[in-house]
Amino acid sequence: MEFRAEGGSVPPVSDRPKTETSQPTRSPEEDWSLLMAQAQQGDGASYRRLLQSLTPYLRALAHRFGLGGADLEDAVQDVLLTVHSIRHTYDPTRPFAPWLTAVARHRLLDRLRRRVRQTGRETELTEAHETFAAVETNHPELAGEAARLQAAIATLPEGQRRAVEMLKLKEMSLKEAAQATGQSETALKVSVHRAIKRLRGVLGGN
Amino acid sequence: MAVTEQLIETLTEKLQPVQPLRKPGRRAALWSAFATLVVAVIGAGWGSRAELAHAVTEAGFFVPLIGSWLTGVTAATAAFHVSLPDRSRRWLWLPLAPVLLWGSGFAYTCFVNWDDLPGSLALLPESACLMTILAVSAGLTVVLLPMLRRVRTLRPGLTAWLGCLAVAGFADTAHLLVHTEQDSLLALTVNLVPAVVLVVFGGLAGRRAV
Repeated sequence: MEFRAEGGSVPPVSDRPKTETSQPTRSPEEDWSLLMAQAQQGDGASYRRLLQSLTPYLRALAHRFGLGGADLEDAVQDVLLTVHSIRHTYDPTRPFAPWLTAVARHRLLDRLRRRVRQTGRETELTEAHETFAAVETNHPELAGEAARLQAAIATLPEGQRRAVEMLKLKEMSLKEAAQATGQSETALKVSVHRAIKRLRGVLGGN
Repeated sequence: MAVTEQLIETLTEKLQPVQPLRKPGRRAALWSAFATLVVAVIGAGWGSRAELAHAVTEAGFFVPLIGSWLTGVTAATAAFHVSLPDRSRRWLWLPLAPVLLWGSGFAYTCFVNWDDLPGSLALLPESACLMTILAVSAGLTVVLLPMLRRVRTLRPGLTAWLGCLAVAGFADTAHLLVHTEQDSLLALTVNLVPAVVLVVFGGLAGRRAV
């Protein structure tokens, strides 16, 4: 009992391996079945020729599946990798083209399904998705309060400014800040305390 | 395109020879022969020959026995074929007739014996024979799984499902040989339920395994 192989699309005549009934357009060495059989025995040169001769056919097939550009080339590479990883499943007594076409169709359909799933989940952002049209809302550092605070910090004496930046803005620990500045932890605490008191005065807080 | 050329160079550079897989029919025959041997050993070791000789004369026993064995053989054949990329998905339908034969045998047993529910309930404690099904399933899976994994199939779901059906078929053949006395509830709970569970959950879990 034998079912016919599936995979309706077979390589175009120019890419088909030579058979007894087809025109002898290729030398026997270029027969895909023969090259694959030699590749299964570890013949790297035959394998290179096989993969190189498969590539144009795979590109044409991927194009027929609606792929283009980098996606098309990725798909071709994906099929080549699959061919490589399951080359032991090819039976040298059977024609190569249906095997290759079936492998390629599996991989290309997988890719298309993945693409449909991804595009189904993704929503392109438009201006309407921004919180407000004003530039400042999407760039908090430009907002008024933050700008005033940064200006006020810039007016602090060097020691206090560094202490605020390290302990409050960069959220370093007292130990880390002490190591970085060479000051004692107590001195840093005092500097931060004085800096905050001064900032409250400048910014008009309580 | 340059990347594709590089890929081809990489793939061909350290090419190792590979052993082409044997014909799927031959691989299926090999596994089925092993499974049949396991079933025969279990039947000979734990079954009662006198009961078996009597039971095989009854259609309610013989039909499911043949059906389950044929299900195992045909499902294994289908699994090995479907696992290959260039073989038709229509191999999926190969075990259909044996599955119907298997199921119809139990349906007949249930139909004939349904009025004897107390008798069926009395037989249920003997359901330790579930262990037979589990042990045979585990043993056959241990051998079948590497054989299917070697293919690195592009159809893992279908292959796993058919593989589980094959295991379920042989496991039930073993169970029938050990436990020849079939009754309505027993037929349903001990034969069909484990088979359905094995096929459904095994198929889902096996998808990643094969």
